[in-house]
Amino acid sequence: MDKSAIQKELLKMFGKDRMLSDALDLMYYSYDSSFLTKLETTSPYAVVFPRSTEEVQKIMQFAYSHDINIVPRGAGTGETGGCVAVEGGIVLDLSQWKEIVEIDQKNMQVVVRPGVIHADLNSELAQYNLFFPPDPGSSLMCTVGGMVANNASGLRAVKYGTTEQYVLGLEVVTPKGDIIVTGGMKSRAIKNVSGLNLTKLMVGSEGVLGVITKIRLRCFPKPRARGIAMAVFDRLDDAPATVLDVYQAGILPSGIEVLDGSAIKAVNEFKPHIKLPDAEAILLFEVDGNPPSVEFEGDIIKEMAGKRARLVEWSTDPKSMAQLWEGRSVTAAAASRVRPDVSRIFAGEDISVPLSRVADVLRAIRELGQKYGIQVVNYGHIGDGNVHTAPVINPEDPAEVERVLQLVDEIHLLAIEMEGTTTGEHGVGAVRRRYAPLEHGIAHEYMLKVKQAFDPKGIMNPGKLI
Amino acid sequence: MEFKELPPVKEQLMKCVRCGKCRSVCPVFAEIGNETVAPRGHVFMVQMLRDGTVAPEQKVYDHLTNCLMCETCSINCPSGIDIHELNAAARSYIYEHNPSLAKDLIFDTMWTNPAYLKNAVRMAWGAQASGAQSLGRKLGLTKLLPGDLPKAEKILTGIPFRSARKQVPAVSPARGEKKYTVGYFLGCATDLLNPEVAKATIDVLTRNGCEVIIPADMKCCGLPHIANGKMKTAQQLAIENLKAFRQYDLDYIVTDCASCSSALAAKNMALLLGETEHRDEARAFAAKVMDLTYFLIHILDVRPPANAQAPKVRVTYHDPCHLANAQGITDEPRELLRRIPGVELVEMTDANRCCGGSGTFSITHYDLSMQILDKKMDNIEAADADLIATCCPSCMMQLRHGVSRRGLQNDLVHPVQLLSQAYQMSKGSEMKAAL
Ligand SMILES: Cc1cc2nc3c(=O)[nH]c(=O)nc-3n(C[C@H](O)[C@H](O)[C@H](O)COP(=O)(O)OP(=O)(O)OC[C@H]3O[C@@H](n4cnc5c(N)ncnc54)[C@H](O)[C@@H]3O)c2cc1C
Repeated sequence: MDKSAIQKELLKMFGKDRMLSDALDLMYYSYDSSFLTKLETTSPYAVVFPRSTEEVQKIMQFAYSHDINIVPRGAGTGETGGCVAVEGGIVLDLSQWKEIVEIDQKNMQVVVRPGVIHADLNSELAQYNLFFPPDPGSSLMCTVGGMVANNASGLRAVKYGTTEQYVLGLEVVTPKGDIIVTGGMKSRAIKNVSGLNLTKLMVGSEGVLGVITKIRLRCFPKPRARGIAMAVFDRLDDAPATVLDVYQAGILPSGIEVLDGSAIKAVNEFKPHIKLPDAEAILLFEVDGNPPSVEFEGDIIKEMAGKRARLVEWSTDPKSMAQLWEGRSVTAAAASRVRPDVSRIFAGEDISVPLSRVADVLRAIRELGQKYGIQVVNYGHIGDGNVHTAPVINPEDPAEVERVLQLVDEIHLLAIEMEGTTTGEHGVGAVRRRYAPLEHGIAHEYMLKVKQAFDPKGIMNPGKLI
Repeated sequence: MEFKELPPVKEQLMKCVRCGKCRSVCPVFAEIGNETVAPRGHVFMVQMLRDGTVAPEQKVYDHLTNCLMCETCSINCPSGIDIHELNAAARSYIYEHNPSLAKDLIFDTMWTNPAYLKNAVRMAWGAQASGAQSLGRKLGLTKLLPGDLPKAEKILTGIPFRSARKQVPAVSPARGEKKYTVGYFLGCATDLLNPEVAKATIDVLTRNGCEVIIPADMKCCGLPHIANGKMKTAQQLAIENLKAFRQYDLDYIVTDCASCSSALAAKNMALLLGETEHRDEARAFAAKVMDLTYFLIHILDVRPPANAQAPKVRVTYHDPCHLANAQGITDEPRELLRRIPGVELVEMTDANRCCGGSGTFSITHYDLSMQILDKKMDNIEAADADLIATCCPSCMMQLRHGVSRRGLQNDLVHPVQLLSQAYQMSKGSEMKAAL
């Protein structure tokens, strides 16, 4: 079926107010937040805005019978080109389908449609003293559907884990057009080991197995208190060693962030008033819970960090906590604004390595940056070894782009070599797919078989993940 | 200057990483919800335009104008991109390749010279007074501005017969000891639609030791032109305004219109004239420009006399985008209100969210503008205030329309009107009755 015939059929199904087919309109769907889609743009055949499971089913059946690719899309904040129709196809923009179907306060669960924005969900849940703990940096804009499809997490993953720990069940439309419910058709159970765990399979499947149309999430009671500690180190290796000390002292902070020398410099250049101490590394610990336990854990962190740090500061006062955290909160922006003629890019930005290798990796990345003549700013969730590297380049200089792509490739290979992974939370999409055989070996073939079972025609978000 | 060489295009375009934070703050995106109106989508389209991937066509222009120019995205952009400037530059670039005669007429002639504009408004007034209400048709404006003018004509109700200039002298001496010579930039909308605001401004300034001069040759601030793809005309107007003010020895240049003060402030003057021979004069001019509310608090430190008898009035304040976003001025208007005896300031939710008026946007995109207005009106109603205060004539017009659409009774005021009345009230008149 050619593009205009597809558009005609979709028009019949959706009407002109809920689809886009004009070439200019479609161009806006050629990107997400990845650097890849800044370099290469492909427009989809059409974009539709489904608002019911039946509509998704109808379009899947249509696509299946005509071999047309389907690409689910949330807010398009992914860093991997995951929601872009890199091999052509119809984009399902699910971000307008933002219904919170049910808040089941008695069972501490919530049922949502895929387009609900993460931050909106949490402000709604706050009224019930509940929260959905994973906290991506894109909270204000990303959809819960996108989070589930990417198994997103954030800086509190150290304590609260990733999205998958909260997904109790899903409604999914498969490429053949079946509507399946994972986690039990009738279940509201929090523990559930009946059947093969299709929920876990779907979480993080990046839209290659089906379209997620409904999500049942478990929520947690909102903690009452927070505290922040900042520790400043003259030696990079002291930072991961301190993290280990804190763990071994029996403390599990809700977040542990690192800024290395490059990030400290970038922050100070961007916002001189923040005056981060000049150092090799800064650690930020966040603890949450009830007030006495927060104080107790804060004391231990101070003691542990004090063994190696040049300076340790601690606060539970909202204003000074915000001050301590300010450096971290502006790091990403600072990377783009260190110089007028550069921008940070999202590429090679998400490797994750064991804690014991974090210092080595940070050093190695610094050396790679020197090798390719590229400034890199490193920060990340050190508590779980997730390093965010921000290469800073002029993205319009082809020579620099070529060098940065080589750098990024080396960073990915480095992560695998250091017993880590190419991506801790942002996902694979189109940009890291080529590392799949290397990362998974023969398991990769089994992944392809699972894909084949769900999607025999290969129409579901092709070119991504595996 | 060539489109590609304009500073925002040259320096900022590449900084967009398309993180999408702008999706979470844009009032237009909140209504339409697809990527074609997301601010990062506009940035993307400007890039496509610059790279020649798309041609400078009307269609692209129509996409880019699905934007209020409220600057909410710009102030929230982690990469520090002035998205509205990119958008404005692109509109002008497209416009230059597709000159439409109608727009030339309205923006190059009628809306550059207050006298011409006044005639148009007088005709509108005639239309109103005759009960015809067919402003659009009388002016032939339907043909000139695309979109929804026939629907939008109700927004322009209540146009006063006599403009401010007809009612106030060109020079008003300071009362009491003179402290400053102040140039009053009397914007088109205040002049023609809100002369009461102009009178209050002059009253408060002169009471506080300012000699107030309204230069005769002053032109429009140029903001409507920037929004409508007429950057070159805006540039011309800026140059004319430099000339109009050059002949006076002024300590400050003050305006009660948020849009004018943002257009005359350093950032916008740099956008218009930063790369021209007028750069230095523009800089010196902009350094004297101050929004009235800022001037009243920080320079004059006005304090109306205490008055225990002042009637109690609940006032809610709406932040104009061109004041709050473009200039970061949010405290001063509130502080002014707080200093007025009898006023109780009640905050509405999302006071700093665009009302959807945005100059000509409510005319070109009426239905969308009304959706955005509805959200604002919900918040206004919930605040349960007697009066709605704001510092921008475009917001006033839009909110007045919102009030009438809902059959409410609230009056719209500029804080300076309440201030002026507070001064007068020391002689005993009733604040509410006078409004
Ligand atoms: C500034 C910034 C900070 C970020 N911080 C973090 C972070 O801290 N942690 C983190 O994990 N990620 C982070 N991300 C990455 C990204 O925001 C998350 O992965 C997010 O969950 C993606 O959601 P989305 O709605 O934008 O999905 P999209 O980008 O639209 O889609 C992502 C993938 O999910 C698929 N998909 C989307 N919806 C569905 C659905 N309903 N059914 C099936 N498949 C679907 C798409 O096909 C695509 O493969 C960040 C991104 C940015 C720009």
